[in-house]
Amino acid sequence: MRLAGLSVSVQRAEATSPARVAVGALGAVLLALALASILFWTAGAGPWTAYRIALGYAFANPSGLGATLQRAVYLLLCTLAFLVPLRGGLWNIGLPGQVYAGALAAFAVALRAGAREAGGVAFTSLILTLMPAAAALAGAVLGGLVGFLRAKLSVNEILVTMMLNSVMFWLTSDFIKEGGALMSATAEGESFTLPEGLRPPLALGLPPSALLALGAAAAVDWVFLRAASGYRVRAFGLNPQAARYAGIDPVRVTLWVFLLGGAFAGLAGYHYFAAVPGLYKIPTNYGYYGDLAFYGIICALIARGSGVAAIPMALLFAGLSVGGRFAQGALRLPFGVDYALLGLLMITFVLSHLVDRYRVVWRRVPPELPTPAPPHVEGVR
Amino acid sequence: MTELLARSLEASTIFLLAALGELVNQRSGVLNVGLEGLMLFGGTAAFLVAQGTGSHAVGLAAGVAVGVVLGAVHGLFSVRLRGDQVVSGMGLWILSFGLTTYLGSPHTGPLGLHRFPTLLGLSPFVPVAVLLVVAVWFVLSRTSLGLAIRSVGESPAAAAASGVNVGGVRFGCAVFGGALAGLAGAAYTLSYNPVWNYNFLMGWGFVSLALVFFSMWNPWILLGGSVLFGVMWQLSLSPEYVLPGVLSRYVWRTVPFLVTVAVLAAISTPWFRTRWGLAKPQALGVPYTD
Repeated sequence: MRLAGLSVSVQRAEATSPARVAVGALGAVLLALALASILFWTAGAGPWTAYRIALGYAFANPSGLGATLQRAVYLLLCTLAFLVPLRGGLWNIGLPGQVYAGALAAFAVALRAGAREAGGVAFTSLILTLMPAAAALAGAVLGGLVGFLRAKLSVNEILVTMMLNSVMFWLTSDFIKEGGALMSATAEGESFTLPEGLRPPLALGLPPSALLALGAAAAVDWVFLRAASGYRVRAFGLNPQAARYAGIDPVRVTLWVFLLGGAFAGLAGYHYFAAVPGLYKIPTNYGYYGDLAFYGIICALIARGSGVAAIPMALLFAGLSVGGRFAQGALRLPFGVDYALLGLLMITFVLSHLVDRYRVVWRRVPPELPTPAPPHVEGVR
Repeated sequence: MTELLARSLEASTIFLLAALGELVNQRSGVLNVGLEGLMLFGGTAAFLVAQGTGSHAVGLAAGVAVGVVLGAVHGLFSVRLRGDQVVSGMGLWILSFGLTTYLGSPHTGPLGLHRFPTLLGLSPFVPVAVLLVVAVWFVLSRTSLGLAIRSVGESPAAAAASGVNVGGVRFGCAVFGGALAGLAGAAYTLSYNPVWNYNFLMGWGFVSLALVFFSMWNPWILLGGSVLFGVMWQLSLSPEYVLPGVLSRYVWRTVPFLVTVAVLAAISTPWFRTRWGLAKPQALGVPYTD
């Protein structure tokens, strides 16, 4: 196409610069928020008011900010759970299942330690350490199963993780409903509440799992940037065939990324159900927390596989989901504002990802030279 | 017992419709892992429109139309723009999961229309699905269009060299897959279980996706697999027919998913592969760049 002396064409791009990636991520988030404002508007709420209420609650209200920070830690752990396998080219969408597995394991440890008995719990500091450890282990076992099937038999990891999400969803119901092993003695459909002694200490309102999540995000980036093991995962993710020729064992890489990913998701389950003030139990609507884990997928994708870059993303999405829920109540919006945002963010990310592969190329076209006039021959009439 | 059988066949039909569309999609080399999302959106659209207009037929048309649109979006992303098919499919799934929750929530509850008409006590979707299996088999294996579809799924470069419009065929298959996913969703919300609930499918779409792999991309095996899974699904909801009083009903609900994992693992073993061979389309999931 030509426009005033410029030729314009759309071409496939080979490489992207960090600046473009950042602009793309920001564009995706802004576009999703703009699209969501159409939803608010059709529901009779002014988008500006809706965002002011949502973000005001999430970041400026003390109780809202507390909820945002707790959720950000949860989302960051879920992000890492998705991000580590993703660097190896694998999709761990089994976050909810691994979250439930972690929560169940942590509560099982508490139960064995006598959390439901009147006498109280002995060796509380040991149990307080064992609970997250058991959660990470349970998540890792579930993730490891996926990794094993993928590595040994090339079974599609997306299908297996989704199946295990459903399995764990129903198993959680089995544990906390209709007389299940972890059911509360006083309320049907939820787990017992952790006694005071088994609630981890808080610093600035946050449990130790918050520090763990931040440390893990930095450590993951360091491993992928500097360590040989991280290099092997990245090489495998970029080109499994070439990685194999370079002597990288695909079975090992696949198994490890899923073990680690599962452990992070298990810890996320521990964090939200066993370490966040106000909860300390597996509630009836545990499925909602499982669904929130999918924000981890978008976080990791938008942060382009960087744990540290995912921290502000996790904070933003935590704020949007906490604030969205609040605005939903305040403005009487339909249920599921946080779900709608999740969906819109995902699709705008896909769009930005696609747009990123193309470039609009402008080129100045030299002005056309006048065609020489035919020679005038004298004497010819 | 007859009721259980009729319900099982209806459940099978939903798996079959969704999986059949995905099968055609995959035979052309396009993988749509967002099948569950397309079903969710199609089902929700069918439910909302049927409730709004009071007509099952209009609802059904809306479900299929939404499926077509989403199928086309997947075609646009993954065929025309040559994006990563998994990213696009996952995007469509999470988009549908999120948006349908928001759009459908005010309508949570029963459809409020009279029951969907039946044919000899069976859902009319059952014969439709069987006819579609015959049609898909015929087109894929006996017509030049089928040859074109299979060739772009196996070797798009060779197909292009012989004059097949690779992008066009793949895009068409993605749209067809979307239409059947929408139909499957509509069959769920209008006839099988006309009560809207957030994320009502809870894995039906992913099981359908797995069924395509089980079928080794053959519509007849897919028919058999869908019937087996439909029966198993229904039994997992009513375990009293199998082993009354053994295990909680929640544990029974995990059975179809565990069986899916087990079958996926079994068909991936070297033993199975060497004896049966997986007729996986060679170019499945690979964008074609000419």
